[in-house]
Amino acid sequence: MKLRIGILAILGVATVTAVAIGSMSGLILRAHRAALLAQLEQGADQLSETIGSSTFYDMLENRRPALRREILTIGTQKGMERVRLFNRTGKIKFSSDEAEIGRVQDLKAKACAVCHSQEQVLQKLPANKRSRIYRAPDGHRVLGIIRPIYNETRCWNSECHAHKRDETVLGMLDVNVSLAGADARIASDQRQMILLALLAIAASSLLLWWLNERLIVKPVADLIAGTRKVAEGDLHTTIPAEAGHELGDLARSFNEMTRRLGEAQRQLTQADKLASVGRLAAGVAHEINNPLTGVLTYASFLQKRLQDRPEMAADLEVIVRETKRCRDIVRGLLDFSRQTPPQHHPTDLNEVVRRGAAVIMNQLVLRQVALDFALADGLPPVPADANQIQQVIVNLIMNAADAIGDDGGTVFVGTSAIQMPARGNTVIRTARCPKGCDLIDPGTRIGRYPGIKVLRRAHEHDTLVHLDPVYGRVNHRAGEPLEAGVLANYACPRCRARLELPEHKCGDCGAPAFGVQAGERGRIEWCSRKGCHWTRCEALDAQGPQAYAELVVRDTGKGISPEDLDHLFEPFFTTKGNRGLGLGLAVTWGIVEGHGGTIGVESEPGQGAKFIVRLPNALPIARPAEPPRGTS
Amino acid sequence: MSERWDVLVVDDEAVIRDAVRLILGSEGWSVAVAADAASGLAHPALETCRLVLCDMMLPGMSGLDVVREMRRRRPDMPIVLITGYATAENATRAIDAGASAFLAKPFDDTELLNQVRPVLERTDVAGKEGQP
Repeated sequence: MKLRIGILAILGVATVTAVAIGSMSGLILRAHRAALLAQLEQGADQLSETIGSSTFYDMLENRRPALRREILTIGTQKGMERVRLFNRTGKIKFSSDEAEIGRVQDLKAKACAVCHSQEQVLQKLPANKRSRIYRAPDGHRVLGIIRPIYNETRCWNSECHAHKRDETVLGMLDVNVSLAGADARIASDQRQMILLALLAIAASSLLLWWLNERLIVKPVADLIAGTRKVAEGDLHTTIPAEAGHELGDLARSFNEMTRRLGEAQRQLTQADKLASVGRLAAGVAHEINNPLTGVLTYASFLQKRLQDRPEMAADLEVIVRETKRCRDIVRGLLDFSRQTPPQHHPTDLNEVVRRGAAVIMNQLVLRQVALDFALADGLPPVPADANQIQQVIVNLIMNAADAIGDDGGTVFVGTSAIQMPARGNTVIRTARCPKGCDLIDPGTRIGRYPGIKVLRRAHEHDTLVHLDPVYGRVNHRAGEPLEAGVLANYACPRCRARLELPEHKCGDCGAPAFGVQAGERGRIEWCSRKGCHWTRCEALDAQGPQAYAELVVRDTGKGISPEDLDHLFEPFFTTKGNRGLGLGLAVTWGIVEGHGGTIGVESEPGQGAKFIVRLPNALPIARPAEPPRGTS
Repeated sequence: MSERWDVLVVDDEAVIRDAVRLILGSEGWSVAVAADAASGLAHPALETCRLVLCDMMLPGMSGLDVVREMRRRRPDMPIVLITGYATAENATRAIDAGASAFLAKPFDDTELLNQVRPVLERTDVAGKEGQP
């Protein structure tokens, strides 16, 4: 049988309470009983003395009827058991119970033995030695106290000469008081005590049970249910964690752990998918390149031979051009899977848009999709890989055409030159500690970009923090929470070099600033006070607004649901069922990312979708130094 | 009759062998072909040809090993590796194995001739001078 902690605790507390209250009540009852008895004894002794003195003259003057009446009157009073008078031989001479008059008391009996057991009969005894407790025939207890009647001068020199001079004790007065009332009171007290003890045990157990249910059982049950769900693979599980005590902390760490596990799992899945793309791309490259080489070499060979036949040469030109496009797509896929950086050349985005549109124009006409261009004049050239950007344009237009469906519609393609501040738009892609350790962590992404990993020390406790890599944004992600307002220290997680900048202060709250080296020219600084959102990069701020070439592709299709928006750029994510491989937007994202640009999407179901690509006019300063790439 | 070969092509894909033979043949060079590593290394053209084009991925044996073996036998002969994986690492590995140049598939006739023509035209002169 499984014993619950709560039941064990309740049993323990109940036992301890029972023993404590029980022994305390026992002691109190005993003292109470002893005090009551002593009081009764004293009362009985006083009574026997009163009886002794009030009957003295009756005895001295031998007024037997008066004595008898007196004994009878006192002995039959309420609470009195009986009163009797013995002579010195133990014979009952008077008694309130007249049936026993004349009976001789055995001097060996318990009541008499106190004095009569010794050779020399004792003459004097203290009150407590003279008393005894016995049970009456009907079972109730009786307190008896004897009082010797001593010989006095008046006794032996009176005229009756009933007593001799040398006698010491002439008889014995025996007063018996019923203990029934006192016993009933003690029993009632005892019952009350027991009832009280039981109530106390029940109340403390109940309180303990309630506290246990509320503070332990429920959170623990939640935790167990949570761990079961996680074990079953549900990494979106969170458990309630309102409590401020340790179990609340445990629940919070559990939630944080689950969140991070989920993230790690998603990233692993993403990495898996990317690895699959890599294998697929490599396989496709190998398989498709041979037939493509055949087409390309024969077509280009024929093209030269048929230069004098312009109508055929033009057709062959199309074959050669499109085969080369196939080749570029295969290479682009391979590049994406290998994260190969693009070859940047000054590129006219409008020209690339026109070229890309021309390539797919025939398909669009067949599908009754019209293109509506709004290309800005005088767009400055952007450093870009024209083939890759053309692929982005083709992908986005084909995507839009797919969204429109079979009934036809219009795809709007626009370009414009825009300016955006560095804050909120520049992704920090290089971050190093003072000793040169790379702080960029591709394993933890914040909004699709690798975070900047630093070690935070607060309350003498270290935790890893991923700083938001988008300059000006502060969606940092910490391993453990920290209450707002706390000043923390920051260090490199690898070499532990301190990241504080002693001469720099936060521009908002004056707390010490810390920073990392972002590329050759820039240093990014943050405030070390938790909750303060100050951040600064002098180099980026000094550059002023950054110029971008913006490409917008908008369709009039069915739109994208909010839940799909989050996954749109993941490899193998498709909303097209069997018609799509789910690589188009992943490749697109990879290319834009490789250009240091951004791609975003705005959509509402039923309202169409709008893809916005922004390519920087200048290569961002915060770009990683690319590894040298030599070809023959 | 002992035929003189200008170029030896080792590739398991028939279309590549045929395309190279067509293009180089039309320029006046004689082209020998082999479909796998073993027949490529055993081909008599290997002893006399002025240029080898070899695929990087051949059935049974890596093109890099073929290049190493050819380089051992003909230390001064230009060897061009053909590959579908046009990456920097592959290029480095090809050069390390002893290849003189690197041709990425798919290629058109201009790209092929750009690699081949300088070598053959240079040795054309030498070859003609050397003949009686």
